[in-house]
Amino acid sequence: MVDAAQGVLGIEWIDGKSIRFLLGGGEEDAVIEEGDYEDEAEQEEEEDSLAEYKVSRDEVMRMIGTEIAKMHLADIIHGDLTTSNMMLRRPTASTPSHLVLIDFGLAYTSTLVEDKAVDLYVLERAFASTHPDSEPLFASVLLAYGKKMGKEWAPVSKRLDEVRLRGRKRSMVG
Amino acid sequence: MPGIVRRRSPLRVPEKPYVALGLEGSANKLGAGIIKHDVDGSTTVLSNVRHTYITPPGEGFLPRDTAKHHRDWALTVINDALHKAGVSMHDLDCICFTKGPGMGAPLSSVALVARTLSLLFNKPLVGVNHCVGHIEMGRQITGAQNPVVLYVSGGNTQVIAYSQQRYRIFGETLDIAVGNCLDRFARVINLSNDPSPGYNIEQEAKKGKRLVPLPYTTKGMDVSLSGILTSTEAYTLDKRFRPDGKPREGDADDIITPQDLCFSLQETVFAMLVEITERAMAHIGSKEVLIVGGVGCNERLQDMMGIMAQERGGNVFATDERFCIDNGIMIAQAGLLSYRMGYQTPLGKTTTTQRFRTDEVHVAWRA
Repeated sequence: MVDAAQGVLGIEWIDGKSIRFLLGGGEEDAVIEEGDYEDEAEQEEEEDSLAEYKVSRDEVMRMIGTEIAKMHLADIIHGDLTTSNMMLRRPTASTPSHLVLIDFGLAYTSTLVEDKAVDLYVLERAFASTHPDSEPLFASVLLAYGKKMGKEWAPVSKRLDEVRLRGRKRSMVG
Repeated sequence: MPGIVRRRSPLRVPEKPYVALGLEGSANKLGAGIIKHDVDGSTTVLSNVRHTYITPPGEGFLPRDTAKHHRDWALTVINDALHKAGVSMHDLDCICFTKGPGMGAPLSSVALVARTLSLLFNKPLVGVNHCVGHIEMGRQITGAQNPVVLYVSGGNTQVIAYSQQRYRIFGETLDIAVGNCLDRFARVINLSNDPSPGYNIEQEAKKGKRLVPLPYTTKGMDVSLSGILTSTEAYTLDKRFRPDGKPREGDADDIITPQDLCFSLQETVFAMLVEITERAMAHIGSKEVLIVGGVGCNERLQDMMGIMAQERGGNVFATDERFCIDNGIMIAQAGLLSYRMGYQTPLGKTTTTQRFRTDEVHVAWRA
């Protein structure tokens, strides 16, 4: 909510944490030092952080897929889908925890399959680079996305395969 | 909530001094460098010699001629490097060479030299990924801990972040590299290739006054540059274009000079690079940027990146032309790091490859 005349900007407080943190991608500002430290660094709680939200990893992935599909069905392209730009709202007595997409600073509207596929590709790359060994996770995101998109999924899926082949110096064996 | 996560480096302090020779020749620069890792953990550059194949204005370098240049100069450059370092071939622990990526013919000429030296002096070989060489040298020189790396050169444009023993590519160019884009425009307006077309573009751009509209093409985390080059070239056929940069009789103020085009091209493509770098920083939560590669010595790019980093409360690390532009020392540095982790390339595997992605390398020496 923006009231330019009054100079008021209203934003919503989301009680929860970013998906990136919940998946063990580290804290936003964590400083990583390398050196010959003899003390074994204690890893922070990762697996357990999802427990207080009463959801499993797989359910979170399904929520991500479904939310993105809802957005794309409304022809909104996020433009910067990463796990830092998604939050899980803490469950309350009446509502279970649910996923909130944030930071629409680069968002725009488009009906093009290309734009939707690139949106998904950005997320795929973000997954691969912050959460290594996350291929099965992203696969379940796509599964849920495909389900929600219905008949619109086939063209996006085809284009996503094309988008993945872009880039330089890929090994082209076969 | 900034926390400090300490990880143990797998690289042990050396029990004896190590000396390595690095040979680089993936493009038009032939480089030989000698590096020393001492027992106190310090790293010293003993020598860093480079010879560049410079073509006449309006021409690029062709693989065959470049390979010939490298063959002609290899012995002179290596001897010079050994002489300046004050070491002999017998003092070396290993010989490192560029395995790829790069132009095929120059790469294989230099690999041949490396193999010959290895057999003559009975020294182990270490094949190095060119991009990893740039990153490791940049980290060594600037002391940046865990930066987002922008690797920009004539053949590569990548935004890279380190995670779990790989340099992972966040974003990259979808078609031509940024250095290639600038160099080719330099050829269009007939700028000299000496010392490098990119340097001359930078000098011309300082005299530019007018920002002409060009396409701005970021796609997700990636950028596309070939269309911008075409659009900039199209301005040279515009009625308002004055190749000599001077207004003609009866001209109003509405003219476009080559300097304006250099300026506009730089501002547009650098803005795109800064954007994708910023998004990578925001996502991984790093406050450091390291710029490596030949285009990295462009001061305008360093300034723009500096403004962005400052706004985020971070800083930018860059090196000068000795280490930014392709050189042998960076190959020696990355090669010696992997050699100290026990890695060697057996003679039968010392082939070169034009396609060798940064994320294919297992970075054993980092936690």
